[in-house]
Amino acid sequence: MKKQIIKRIIELIIILIVLSFLTFLLMYLAPGDPAEKRLSSQGVAVTKEVLQAEQERMGLLRPFFVRYGEWFTGILRGDFGVSFKDDMPVSPKLVSGLKNTSILALASLILSLLVSVPLGILSAVKQNSILDHIVRILSFIGNALPNFLISVLLMYFFCIRLNLFPVVATGSVQGLCLPALSLAIPMAGRFTRQIRTETMEQLRQDYVTGLRVRGVREKDILIHNVFRNASGHIFTIVALQIGILMGGSVVIETIFRWPGIGKLVMDSINARDYPTIMGFVLIMGTIYVIINFLSDVLYHVLDPRV
Amino acid sequence: MKKRLTAFLLVICMFAAVFTACGSNQEENTAATGSSSAASADSQKAKGNEEGDNVLKTAASFAYPSLDVHKEYYGWYTSIYGLSEALFKFDESATAVDCLAEDAEADGTKWTITLKDGVTFSNGDPLTADVVIQNIQRLAEVNERFSYLGDFTWTAEDDLTITVDTGADVYPMLKNDLASPEAGMIDLDATKDFDKDPVCTGPFVITEFNPEGDVTVARNENYWGGDVKLDGAVFYYMQEDDPKLLAMQSGEIDCYNSVSSGALEVYEKEPDKYHVESVAGTRLQYYILNENRLDDSVRAAINLTVDKEAIAEYLKGTVSAATSPYPASTAYSNITIPAVDAEQAKKLLEDDGYTLGQDGIYEKDGNKLKLNICYYAARSLDTLAVLIQEQLKAIGIDSYLTVEEDPDSTYIATADFDLALYCMISDKCGDPQYFIDSTLADGAYYNVGGFKNDECQAMIEQLRVEVDPDKRAELANQIIQIAVDDNAFGYVGLFNHTTVMKPGVSGFAEKIPFDFYGVDANTVK
Repeated sequence: MKKQIIKRIIELIIILIVLSFLTFLLMYLAPGDPAEKRLSSQGVAVTKEVLQAEQERMGLLRPFFVRYGEWFTGILRGDFGVSFKDDMPVSPKLVSGLKNTSILALASLILSLLVSVPLGILSAVKQNSILDHIVRILSFIGNALPNFLISVLLMYFFCIRLNLFPVVATGSVQGLCLPALSLAIPMAGRFTRQIRTETMEQLRQDYVTGLRVRGVREKDILIHNVFRNASGHIFTIVALQIGILMGGSVVIETIFRWPGIGKLVMDSINARDYPTIMGFVLIMGTIYVIINFLSDVLYHVLDPRV
Repeated sequence: MKKRLTAFLLVICMFAAVFTACGSNQEENTAATGSSSAASADSQKAKGNEEGDNVLKTAASFAYPSLDVHKEYYGWYTSIYGLSEALFKFDESATAVDCLAEDAEADGTKWTITLKDGVTFSNGDPLTADVVIQNIQRLAEVNERFSYLGDFTWTAEDDLTITVDTGADVYPMLKNDLASPEAGMIDLDATKDFDKDPVCTGPFVITEFNPEGDVTVARNENYWGGDVKLDGAVFYYMQEDDPKLLAMQSGEIDCYNSVSSGALEVYEKEPDKYHVESVAGTRLQYYILNENRLDDSVRAAINLTVDKEAIAEYLKGTVSAATSPYPASTAYSNITIPAVDAEQAKKLLEDDGYTLGQDGIYEKDGNKLKLNICYYAARSLDTLAVLIQEQLKAIGIDSYLTVEEDPDSTYIATADFDLALYCMISDKCGDPQYFIDSTLADGAYYNVGGFKNDECQAMIEQLRVEVDPDKRAELANQIIQIAVDDNAFGYVGLFNHTTVMKPGVSGFAEKIPFDFYGVDANTVK
């Protein structure tokens, strides 16, 4: 076990070094000048002299390896640097964005599971019934609707027609409802279909026939056997979804004024704010590796056969 | 199975705990409220929070992490919020008129600025010549775009008079530059936190500032300019058009500007519910024609073909067709351009030896006339590119579109284009020189299409030292006319500064072509 942990930590360090170098290189090669973006952010043209002075001040005229080395040593000291966009420290921006995104991600995940688990199982059990057809059509629609459309429709319905929520929401629980729902609807569509398929697969197994023959109640078979056996697959798709959700959703965050990481990163890419982008990549890489690592460790602790 | 479930839930819990814990400190940072103003300002803020009926609520498309007037473009927003004021301000015809200063007069390389008597900051401290000079010096230090102001010699002759020696060269734009919102005045000694709570002279004081988020201001009870009609204002940071429209429909906001074409259609259908004001702004869509690649006849044919009115109509009220790079309300926008004439365009091409091929495309010496139209997908330039392509094809000029994410480091830097679309502010301070210097002068950053004209350059040199506004306007008209006659450029449209307001709301800078004004002492709801 100890060996495994040391091995994974070494792997993590190598992954992060390679990741940071590649990201820095791509940013360096990508067209666009952060100084120019900053000076003309309001559409005002700049002169060559002003641009050069700003590039010098921001340290953009130094060689690639000097800049990367400086950034990397800063990271080792726990300093993510300052944003090219506004000279503000990068760390608080990332922490705030990740915090808000993780709240939204968890809320939407819970909502989607609350809907998709019962619907998926019910749809599988009542295969080819009217209920099954309705659930399948709804899950198709939910999955196919683009985020921006769902967001605006929800806003129109709940804020204008029903007057249940304000359009101008804040970061409160009330403000969380609609963005979480917007994210949850397509997710629930996907989950429902996957849970239905997995449940049907289990229902076709011999052990289910055996249990039925032995007179076990259908409800007990579903809860104690079928769902339990299907859970492994469900956990896998949910875990994958967490990674996607943590990247943030620019559209939903922008429409609902939710200050998450997706919008922060998109704004940073547009502004060529390399320190913020680098910080994001590094943190996301770390999160992915750590979650995988912790899952493996926990599985191993709880079930030594894994 | 239970073990797997437990493992999974543990991972989720750790994941949530890490970010919830990380976020606790950040809460304090992002929801910071200014705290360093004088006691009087604090009491105003408390009052501002209690009152709600006479508070204007609006949406802002941009939000910044700081209220430091002098840095970056933050001064644009402190001006919009009604916090800061500059020595001069722009009126509806983009003329710099008095604000904190009575006037500024130039005599060769020497300017004399006279401040208004009785101007005070929100804490009651007076605005003096020394304070103004300290502000200008700080602006020059912290904002690269204004660093040249540090090269001038600023002297306080008395409390209300400042003389500025611009050195060896005459600098005719000083008054206009001092009207820029970045040149807003701050009480440098009293301000403890420039990012969150600057003490300024404006009709409002900051109540709550969320970096890159919502901003709340309350009436400045000590406002030097007299009564402030609103109790306060709230600026909700809303980037997207649809939520702004819905917030307007639900009555959660009272007004906003930069209205989209879709929303405009909705508002115009209900004139009793919404009042819309639209003036041509200073954000220009234009194209550069590459003189190094295109024959004179082709450039002339393009300019005779591109139908700006049709483009403006297609863009449904978001832009006004342009004849010159500047808003029509200015004195330096008197340019004559030929009317759209497809037949004349064809004739020019045919006179120059182009023949119409069987595919309906002109060719010369066996080469098809096919242009490379470069653009970037912002400010409706993508739509413009397609419309121009269609219009040109209709007369027999073929083209292909090249989209770049960053024009400055691609087609502007390499000049690898036949027709390049671009969008920029054409008038940043009520004066034509900045745009001319940026796009027409020899060696200018955006003069990349090979435009060069000695007569024009001589006039640009003259414009750089001419102080008289009327003569400057006349010179600018002649300079732009030369570029237009040379078919070096095509000025397509000026984005409209469109404001929607509920009935009763006015004074929200709805008639001013600049983007950096919002609430002021006369704003009412």
